[in-house]
Parts: sequence; structure tokens; C-alpha cells
Amino acid sequence: MKTKTKVSITGYAGYIPKLRLPTSEIAQIWKGGGSGPNKAKSVANFDEDITTMSVEAARHAIIMANNPDIGAVFVGSESKPYAVKPTSTIVAQALGIHKTLAADFEFACKAGTEAMQVITGLIGSGMINNGIALGVDTAQGRPGDSLEYTASSGAAAFVLSSENNHGLAYVEASTSFVSDTGDFWRRQGESYPRHLSRFTGDPAYFFHVESSVRTLLEEINAKPTDFTYAVFHQPNPKFPLEVAKRLGFTKEQLEVGLLNPEIGNPYSASSPLGLIATLDVAKPGDKILLASFGSGAGSDAFSIIVEDNILNKRKNIVPLRQQIDDNIEINYSTYTKLRGILNK
Amino acid sequence: MSISYWRTRDRYYRIIGSICENCKSEFFPPVYTCSKCNSTDKSKIKDKEMPNQGIIISYTVLYEPMLGFEDEIPMQIALIQLNNGVRLVSQIVDCKIDDIAIGKNVKRVFRKIKSESKSGQIWYGYKFRLC
Ligand SMILES: [Zn+2]
Repeated sequence: MKTKTKVSITGYAGYIPKLRLPTSEIAQIWKGGGSGPNKAKSVANFDEDITTMSVEAARHAIIMANNPDIGAVFVGSESKPYAVKPTSTIVAQALGIHKTLAADFEFACKAGTEAMQVITGLIGSGMINNGIALGVDTAQGRPGDSLEYTASSGAAAFVLSSENNHGLAYVEASTSFVSDTGDFWRRQGESYPRHLSRFTGDPAYFFHVESSVRTLLEEINAKPTDFTYAVFHQPNPKFPLEVAKRLGFTKEQLEVGLLNPEIGNPYSASSPLGLIATLDVAKPGDKILLASFGSGAGSDAFSIIVEDNILNKRKNIVPLRQQIDDNIEINYSTYTKLRGILNK
Repeated sequence: MSISYWRTRDRYYRIIGSICENCKSEFFPPVYTCSKCNSTDKSKIKDKEMPNQGIIISYTVLYEPMLGFEDEIPMQIALIQLNNGVRLVSQIVDCKIDDIAIGKNVKRVFRKIKSESKSGQIWYGYKFRLC
């Protein structure tokens, strides 16, 4: 899918909470040693949720975009603090934005890229000039479940703009591929999701990501070697590398955006944070592939082309790497207290 | 969310204070009368978002917190001087107990303050962390 007029990214920012739970802490309790495939995961503090993380990421992204008039605030998440009451209106209020569309999106781990795609369309059609898309989660994992090793917290914000606002990169095209595939779900009122273990691989993650990416490559008549970087959804460190191989991308194209080993899987923020880490180092002219995956199931794929302006825009921002490295390790008991599992 | 909290939410969400355009003094919480030049001219006293950075002037660590904040101990509370000279009291978060100190730079963050109950509304507002 392409817009009739050019749609650019004019600002971006990630937010990763400071606390890290080493996966060896989880393994010690449930398996008697070792660690998960990822080394640690980011954990929201007692007073952080998707609203607070969204506000932090959005505020910095808007500053990078030179404070444009925002016409859409879309928050993509599956860990909403309210079942009924939008997160997006709280975020808009905290940013001082009122004449705007505001909505919450949910699509397991791909709600963030979905928000990006809808805003791209709104700008491309001329309805709005600028919008902010957020992918954000405080992911849940049942104690002892394999998900507990990776389910983490984080937020990614992108300000998308029309041609009037000179961008740091632009969206060349995007695609989406969906099917009814029940690899992972959480029923209303339940605290933890359920999943079908091995079923999350081939029929879910690989099938959908491969389909959306192949459709994209066909649409823009590109091949994997045309891209400098590729970012895939990161439920664990293995899946993105495997899907890259199947599609013909190399490990080198993935490296900068592969954050799962250090922060785990912050669901809707996972591939968007990978894109931010990539934009932090990309050069003008670089082509970046972004492919998300959301259970249930679907995948959005984007081709993003970096522009000269990125060099100027990056001068005043703190790279995501700094937030990854500047952390405080916690133990499993602190973690259970923060997640509300251990109560007085 | 109580009515008074809702009415003043911009104060908690963005630290909206006042500026007296007569003498350029800034205030938080917002004022109706400028205590510097005694102006009461409503057209001159405007809303203003306070700067989001400052330094710690003094602090304390609470081990006996107010009702509803029991899970947050030890709670670090600081007197902060913002970059425009305005002072306010706020909680310091994401900070190891030994890392807090007078003179350290802090920046504003948006955090949960408390929730009325498991089914009640969540109150959000400003806190600070070391930068
Ligand atoms: Zn005055």
C-alpha cells in the first residue's frame, strides 16, 4: 500500500523502564538455574504503566518533530490499565493536545505498527498533517510460564507528518497480512495470556511475517539485499533470525535492531523499538525493513527510506542505547511485588 | 478521579503554573496575584508550563508513609528548584537509596500517583528522577 502524497517520520523516541530482571532470576525459581534465551527483560516500576511510558516517549518524539500540530494520538497496546476508558485521551491531555483524533488500538504485539499504518493513511489522504503513533506494553506472563522470561515493558513513539514538515525518513510502502490463527490470547478479565507453545512458530509468526514481507517486496519490486537494515518482531532472540534467513536477509542486517537479548519482548513496542535503535545509527539513503507480528494473527511490513535530515534531527536526542545500558537490576521477589503477585 | 483532581489535572500532568507578564515572575502552584509586583491584572497573569529540569535542594526518605503509599517505601521526597527558580516538593523515582543527594540534577517524569481502589480511577502526575 502506498499513499498518494509522501508521508515522513519527523520524530521518534523510545522509552525503556530502568528496571531489569535477569532471566537467571526466573530460572532459579522455576527451573533451578540457567537463564532464558534472552539475558534480561525490562520491567515497569510500581508507578509505571502504558500511559506513563506513552507520555514519556511521545513527549520526546514531538520535541524531535519540532512541536507540530498533532491531529491523531493513537496508542497501540494489549496492557491497557482500563478495560473501558481510553489511554489515548490521558496521553493527549498530558501532552496538551485536544483538537485531535484519539484512539486505542489492540492487536497483540502489532498494535503499534497498526497505529503507524492508520496515521500514514490519514496523512496520505490529506485529513491530518501530523499524527503520533505509539506501540507500548507492560506485557504479562504467568509465573513459571515460558512467556515470563520475555514478557517485558517499553514504549515507542513516532510522529508522522505530511510533506510540509521535512522528515528524517519516509514510508515508501507498507502491507498487512492477517488470518484467524489462535496462537496466543487473553480472555476478558483474565490476568495472563495463554498460548499454544510450538504453534506460535510456523503457522503463526513465520507464516504471517513471511507473507507480509513477501507481499511488500513484490509491491515495491525490491529484494532483501536492497535493504541496509531489517527489523522483525522479537518474541525471543531466535525467531527474528530464523525468519530473516527464510526470507533471504542476513544476521548483519538485523544486529542493531535486535534488542530482545537485553530487554525481552515489550509486545507492541518490540519491533518499533528495534526500528528506533536502527534509526539511531542509520545513514541517509539507507532502506529499512520493519515487520511486526501480532498473535491472532497478523503482520505489518514497512519499507522506510532514511533522508539527509536525520543527521540534523539526531543531534539533540539521547540514543536508545543509553536507556538500554543505564539500568537497575532487580531480583525475582522485587519483580513479583511490582507485578502485584506478592502482596502484604 | 475526584472533581478537584480533574479540574487541576494540567497542574499535575504538566506542572502548569503561572507567569506574571508584568514582572516576568513565575509561580507554581498557579496564582491570581503576583507576590513580586502585586499585580492582580488577569490579562497579565497567564498559565505557563514549568521547566522540566531542576536540582535537589533538600530531601528526605520516608519509611512511615501516608495511607495508600505503603508499598512505595522507602519513599524519596525532595525539595526541587526548577530551572526558572520555582520550588516544589516531589517524589524521586528510579533512584537507588544511596544515589539521592543535594545538588543532583533531576528531570520531570509522568507517573502514576495512586489509584482510588482496584476498580477506581488512576491518578497520574509529575514525579522526578535523576538525570
Ligand atoms: Zn509580577
